[in-house]
Amino acid sequence: MVVGSVSRGCDVVVIGAGPGGYAAALRAGQLGKDVILVEKNERLGGVCLNVGCIPSKALIHAADLAAEIREGDKLGLHVDGLSVDLPQMVSWKDGIVERLTSGVKFLCDKTGVDVVRGRATLLSDRTLAVEGADERVEIEFANAIIATGSRPMELDGFPFDGERVIGSSEALSLQEVPGRLVVIGAGYIGLELGSVYAKLGSDVSIVEFLPELLPGLDRDVAKVLGRRLKKMGVDLYLEHRAERFADGKVHASGPDEALELDADVVMVSVGRVPNSEDLGLEDVGVATDDKGFITVNDRQETSVPGIYAIGDVAGGMLLAHKAYQEAKVAAEVIAGEPAAFDNVAIPAVIYTDPEVAWTGLTEDEARRQGYEVTTGTFPFSASGRAMSLASTDGFIKAVADASSKQLLGLTAVGRGVSELMGEATLALEMGAFLEDVGYTIHPHPTMSEAVQEAVENALGRAIHILNE
Amino acid sequence: MAFVFTFPDVGEGIHEGRVVEWLVAVGDTVAEDQPLLKVETDKAVVDLPSPRAGVVLTLHVAEDAAIEVGDPLLTIGEAGEKADAEAAAGEGTAAPVSGRPAQEAAEARVAAAPTRREGGPPRRPLATPRTRALARKRGVDLERVRGTGPGGRITDADVDRAASGLAEQPAPEAAVRTAAPRGDVSVTEQGEVERVPISHLRKVIASSMATSAHTAAHVTHVDEADVTDLLAEHARIKEALADDSDVRFTLLPFFMKALVAVLKQYPMFNAEVDEEAGEILIKRFYNIGIAVDTPEGLIVPVLRNADRKDMLTIAREVADLASRARSRELSLEELRGGTCTITNIGPLGGVFATPIIHQPQLAIVGLHAIKERPVVVDGQIVIRKMMYLSVSFDHRWIDGADAARFATDLVRLVSAPGLLMVRL
Repeated sequence: MVVGSVSRGCDVVVIGAGPGGYAAALRAGQLGKDVILVEKNERLGGVCLNVGCIPSKALIHAADLAAEIREGDKLGLHVDGLSVDLPQMVSWKDGIVERLTSGVKFLCDKTGVDVVRGRATLLSDRTLAVEGADERVEIEFANAIIATGSRPMELDGFPFDGERVIGSSEALSLQEVPGRLVVIGAGYIGLELGSVYAKLGSDVSIVEFLPELLPGLDRDVAKVLGRRLKKMGVDLYLEHRAERFADGKVHASGPDEALELDADVVMVSVGRVPNSEDLGLEDVGVATDDKGFITVNDRQETSVPGIYAIGDVAGGMLLAHKAYQEAKVAAEVIAGEPAAFDNVAIPAVIYTDPEVAWTGLTEDEARRQGYEVTTGTFPFSASGRAMSLASTDGFIKAVADASSKQLLGLTAVGRGVSELMGEATLALEMGAFLEDVGYTIHPHPTMSEAVQEAVENALGRAIHILNE
Repeated sequence: MAFVFTFPDVGEGIHEGRVVEWLVAVGDTVAEDQPLLKVETDKAVVDLPSPRAGVVLTLHVAEDAAIEVGDPLLTIGEAGEKADAEAAAGEGTAAPVSGRPAQEAAEARVAAAPTRREGGPPRRPLATPRTRALARKRGVDLERVRGTGPGGRITDADVDRAASGLAEQPAPEAAVRTAAPRGDVSVTEQGEVERVPISHLRKVIASSMATSAHTAAHVTHVDEADVTDLLAEHARIKEALADDSDVRFTLLPFFMKALVAVLKQYPMFNAEVDEEAGEILIKRFYNIGIAVDTPEGLIVPVLRNADRKDMLTIAREVADLASRARSRELSLEELRGGTCTITNIGPLGGVFATPIIHQPQLAIVGLHAIKERPVVVDGQIVIRKMMYLSVSFDHRWIDGADAARFATDLVRLVSAPGLLMVRL
């Protein structure tokens, strides 16, 4: 209930305390600005910390551990009676979330960022109202940064009910491993969480409307992933349109036949939509595209001077690390610094088993853009480190411009390849040539040696494979 | 009936050239006027259009091959026609040209040559995040900066150089480095020696420089201008333009306008001499050549009718000419008909230089580095932004006294932008 109304002023108000929002608030605070951070939820951190990146990775790690233990026989590890206590696992994960979100709160307090709870609505290009639990605050701002993020898209015929038909958020807090889980959508969220439950013992089916897994990604990568999913016992139905959930069955239509899949739980992961409604954007004149994403330039400026947008709500790749970078750009532009989002590459990681990751251009993209492409590949089956990890699935592919030998991108599939993307993206940002990476000593034995070897293979001189 | 397309006489006294790139491959269907290949001549890289529609049956020369007017380039036939049909078409004319080094053993390469057409991949300037941030801070467009770092990386120093002064042009060593890549290295008693073939453009530059140096009686007159006020005015204008102009407004248009004003006063500097006829040709038009440093060498595109264009237009056209000079996309037309030339050496450093006149013109004006220097104004030592301006002229036809007057007037105009305005 609203019992009072307060009026305040600030240099910068940030709407939404996800990775974009809190990073923008902290950077603006570091730059000496008077900052208010508005968050509608009790916990800071947004989807990423609460119901996204971090909690899903916790569950993925636990599920991987379970799977490895089960497969430990050949390593001489015989474990009987492994049982999965999902409530305990979820509570461990909740502890991580709690630690991280309170860490964000601590940083805000120490940086002088004032957190105000409630829903924000723009009243004009210089004022907004925050409706909190027991007060209404009007904030007069010099600059506003909109960082309200995105949410799972609902699918016709599958209205979320929080129990049987759920989105990714609920899938991270199930109290029981579902007997039969049907995942709709073979994007990265569907594949990650589908794999988790398959490893925890669910009978998992994935229904995908498009004819291929992870469309747009390197086909060789999709092949490795498809093989592994099959081995895990996941049934993949490509080119099937999910129509409705009725009588405990998911009904879908395929190119040849209709499909009925028994499901205890249905997880819908068919994409995300921006949280751009109910903010008063139209009234103030902030332009959005036809999907509702706020349009911004490379300085994160919207169509209204003084109002910025960052992260998922500003479109592009919906990734926390993209939001972090945009957050810094917006805060620095507000502080009068000549910042711009001019990054060469935004890395992307999918925590499937094995992990899939890429940065810069894929081979196909590079060809489409008109490059004469040269590639180099190194399979983990030739890596000593991969063998010692009992994880030889996958490879690394380096993509380069054939004439200049400039590195254009790196695509990887394999255990822990997410950790290799920092190096690869640094190389791209620094404008590295194949030789630059090839002449850099990579520690042995590590998975990162495969980056060096893939690059050397592109130059026709990898050591541990034949260069054909 | 198959048709053998030979290297046509494109005029301008051009007799030879070099095949830069084939735009079609054997088996391609071509339309009339469709560009077939890029040829580098003395003056420029030009597209040769197809004189007729048909199917490409044979390519007779390889990329990089030297060609002369009349040499067969390719054979075009009707759809469905086979390459061997050409034997009947014209005796001997279709025989591959031989005996030129660039073309030896290249037949296989020609057949397999990929057809790269318009629009290559989007190339970003090669610069690290730190350098990109520096460029934003200094207001430098990296697209216009040539990198001197490894592999053409743009360094912080390149950005600094571009930011200070007139800076359309990059450091000279960049041109040298990119222009001399592919040679055979041999070891002599003294050490390693790399033999690099001389490019066609380089030969042309060499010959025209030597001709000019041997004919004109070169004298360079140097004067000094206080451009403090001009720079202040330029900064004000640049700021005012910032929002509604897509073009980078450099200092060059001011100098161009000042030069035109002075050329009107001293017409001999905008003239040519016809020695045979015993006449001086005074040009009543003002086409100003601009010396552009490209990776392949010096190219001098011409800005036409500089007297009739406003400074914004000049800025835009100069930027366009310079950029296309670097990508070798200028037409012959754009390289001809200059009446006087500006060479902007300042951004590359130095005190001043003595450029060589671009024949058949009679003068070339050098813009040198702008530096803060202590000077005496009204009995006080103050710091002013100073610049050397040079006028190199042909002493056969122009006297030193006139050159001094010419330079004095030019200095006066660039020192006082207000005065320049009344002479526009």
